[in-house]
Amino acid sequence: MQRYIISRTFQSLLLLLGVLIIIFFMVRLTGDPATLMVARDAPEEVREAFREKMGFNRPMIVQFSDYLFGIVQGDFGESLHFDQPALEIILERLPATFQLATVALLFAIVVAIPIGIIGGSNPGSPLDSLGRTLGLLGQTIPNFWLALILILIFAVNLGWFPSFGRDKTISVVLPAIALGFASMGQLVRLTRSAVLEIRNEDYIRTARSKGISTLRIGAKHVFRNAALALISVISIQYSYLLGGSIYIETIFSWPGLGNLLQQAVDGRDFPLVQAIAFFISFFVIALTLLTDVVYALIDPRIRYSR
Amino acid sequence: MKRLSILFTMLVLLGLIAACGGAAQPETVTVVETVVVKEEVEVVQTVEVEKEVVKEVVETVEVEKVVEVPAPDEPKGELIVSLSTFPNSLVLPNTAERNAYNASAQMYNALVWVNEEGRVTPALAEDFEISDDGLEYTFYLRKGVKFHNGEDFDAEDVITTWQHHIDERNAYNYYFTPIEDIEVIDDFTVKFIMSEPDVLFLRKMHLNWGMIPTDYYNEVGFEGLEAHPVGTGPFKFVDWKKGDRIEMEAFEDYWEEGLPKVAKLTFRPIPEEATRIAAVQTGEIHIANRLPVDEAQRLLGAENVKIVRYPVDRVYYISFNNLTTGIDTPLEDVKVRQAMNYAIDRQAIIDALFNGYASLTAGFVTSGNLGYDPDLEPYSYDPDKAKELLAEAGYPDGFEIGMACPTGAYTNFEQVCEAVGGYLNEVGITFEGGEIQFMESGQYWDLEANKELPPLFGDSWSVADGEALIRLSGALGGFDASYSAWSNDEIQDYLTRISGAFDEAERAALYQEFNQYLYDDPPFVYLYQPNTFEAINVAVQNYQPRAAEDYHLKEVFLAGAE
Repeated sequence: MQRYIISRTFQSLLLLLGVLIIIFFMVRLTGDPATLMVARDAPEEVREAFREKMGFNRPMIVQFSDYLFGIVQGDFGESLHFDQPALEIILERLPATFQLATVALLFAIVVAIPIGIIGGSNPGSPLDSLGRTLGLLGQTIPNFWLALILILIFAVNLGWFPSFGRDKTISVVLPAIALGFASMGQLVRLTRSAVLEIRNEDYIRTARSKGISTLRIGAKHVFRNAALALISVISIQYSYLLGGSIYIETIFSWPGLGNLLQQAVDGRDFPLVQAIAFFISFFVIALTLLTDVVYALIDPRIRYSR
Repeated sequence: MKRLSILFTMLVLLGLIAACGGAAQPETVTVVETVVVKEEVEVVQTVEVEKEVVKEVVETVEVEKVVEVPAPDEPKGELIVSLSTFPNSLVLPNTAERNAYNASAQMYNALVWVNEEGRVTPALAEDFEISDDGLEYTFYLRKGVKFHNGEDFDAEDVITTWQHHIDERNAYNYYFTPIEDIEVIDDFTVKFIMSEPDVLFLRKMHLNWGMIPTDYYNEVGFEGLEAHPVGTGPFKFVDWKKGDRIEMEAFEDYWEEGLPKVAKLTFRPIPEEATRIAAVQTGEIHIANRLPVDEAQRLLGAENVKIVRYPVDRVYYISFNNLTTGIDTPLEDVKVRQAMNYAIDRQAIIDALFNGYASLTAGFVTSGNLGYDPDLEPYSYDPDKAKELLAEAGYPDGFEIGMACPTGAYTNFEQVCEAVGGYLNEVGITFEGGEIQFMESGQYWDLEANKELPPLFGDSWSVADGEALIRLSGALGGFDASYSAWSNDEIQDYLTRISGAFDEAERAALYQEFNQYLYDDPPFVYLYQPNTFEAINVAVQNYQPRAAEDYHLKEVFLAGAE
């Protein structure tokens, strides 16, 4: 077990390093940041001074190694737009993004799992059709389009929810639905197919023939085995929600990390873009690692297969 | 069952698509400027009935009356304004773009101000004098002005402000580094000594000089000022929740009597256009800025929203090159360049791509600028004349030349370039490689700065200070100007003379003359000046946006505010 955890952790660190390398070099291929960050009517000396100050004139390798050492010490550079350390700005926005991603995931789980279970237990029933339709819609409807429609119907026409911002407690509802809808669709389909599959397993038939009640079969055998398949999907979904909130946060003007990223990319705020991309990658990788470890703990087949 | 669920899904999808709404038909935009009040009026009628009893019937009839809403005596209500990006700073010299400026400018004043007509007028300086060589400015300061924190304004604050503004950390510090020294003649008189003359200096003050108080700045320093700005402006800072909102409230001791007219002012950054529109419809914000044409039109029928349209001080053009890649090309002949101006149907482009909401330009001096000549007609669309001129120049069958345009930089500009290319093809001008080169804007501007773009390239230039000098010198300064691809001796002469004319009337005359010269010997194909749209709540009164898209909200008030 320990060997498994150590090797997975090591793999994750390697992955993180690879991500950092990609982020760093890709972001510099689009042009000279000085041209965009400094006012266009500024004299060339101002632009050159800016390049000097930011160290953009140094060779790439030097810039990268400085950056790497900085990160290890917790220094993610200073945002060009905000004149503040990138880390500070990110930490300010994190809570909002976590709140949104968590509520979106809860929405997805609370809607998807019951429908998936009931649908899977009664294939062909109306609820099952609903479940499969939701699954299809979740995979086809783009979340930004859904966001705009939700605003139009529930904020503008009905006035039940605010159209933007994080002012009130109910402000999180529309963005969470828009963000979580795709996850919900996927979870419905997965839950349903997991339940369907397990129901037909021999051990279920054995349990039933032993006279164990349907409810107990449902809770102890079906659900626990289905949960295994679902855990990894849910964790992937959560990291997708954390990192994929950029459209939703922009549309709803939700003061989180995604919104910040959109602004940073728009303004070619390199240090901030790198810092945010790193954070999101870090969460995804950490979450995956955690899931793998939990999975190994629950399912003995995994940890003994190495 | 399976077929039913597929059918159900398709119906749902169709329903959702239909809910999106069809394409908006172009309609004329009207600006409603007065408040329409619906009043119930009692109408008493006498009605005859069979019995000889006369009954009185009272009907209520709705009558639309147009009422001029008077401004309140005291500041009332909360005005909520949207911004399209997040401000980087609320200290005026450090505001990197228009949104940050609009929020920050409500808290500050400078010594002078550029008014709606584009003329420099007194603000914190009651009067001023400029020496003939433009190297000395004497300002006579206004007395009795207070800062938000209670300090009194006097000459010392001018010095403090200068020292703060030239700090490198400010985005626009280079506007004020040409100030060599400021002499304090007495508590209310100062003299600026410039190291070099700058005819736009006063306009730069209007743009980015925000007077700050000495004691406060000495106490809190640069970062303290950024965290909690203090100025003399009509609104004072309350709070800034980054990414969410900026809160300000009316400053009771503001030096201009009777202003401001709203008690609270809040800025909400909303990057997404569609959300700004939704928010102004629900009443969550009062002013939604920077809306695209189709969205603005869709709001025309909305109950509580009115649309405001105005020309923006930005010009779009196709530049010619005579400095590098354009040497030894047909562009050297003035007839060729005139021909290209005649060859393009700019109005058709405006109608097709902007629903008619843009204005043709005859030069770089636009309707909001000093020295604008309303009688100079833009080039007409005359492809026959274009071909004639080309033939006269020796190119009856046209010629081949390189052309480039940026992508992702300006609204619809890629399509504008395509259209321009099409019109040029029609008079025989074709492009190297068979088509226009499109490039991502970052890369494009890098090449432009190195003068490496093809001899024809598209671009745009805006000014914020009411004078065209910055874009004229920027686009025509020759090798001294980064983004210039065209220049000659006459142009340099004009630029020098304008830069040395400190009398506004004299400068206005020079702009007119220069613009005419650039019309007869065009260094560009002049395209258009865009319009921008804003949607405002019907309760908002006295809102007058300016061509530079800057807001001055002190006069704005809300009808019916408590």
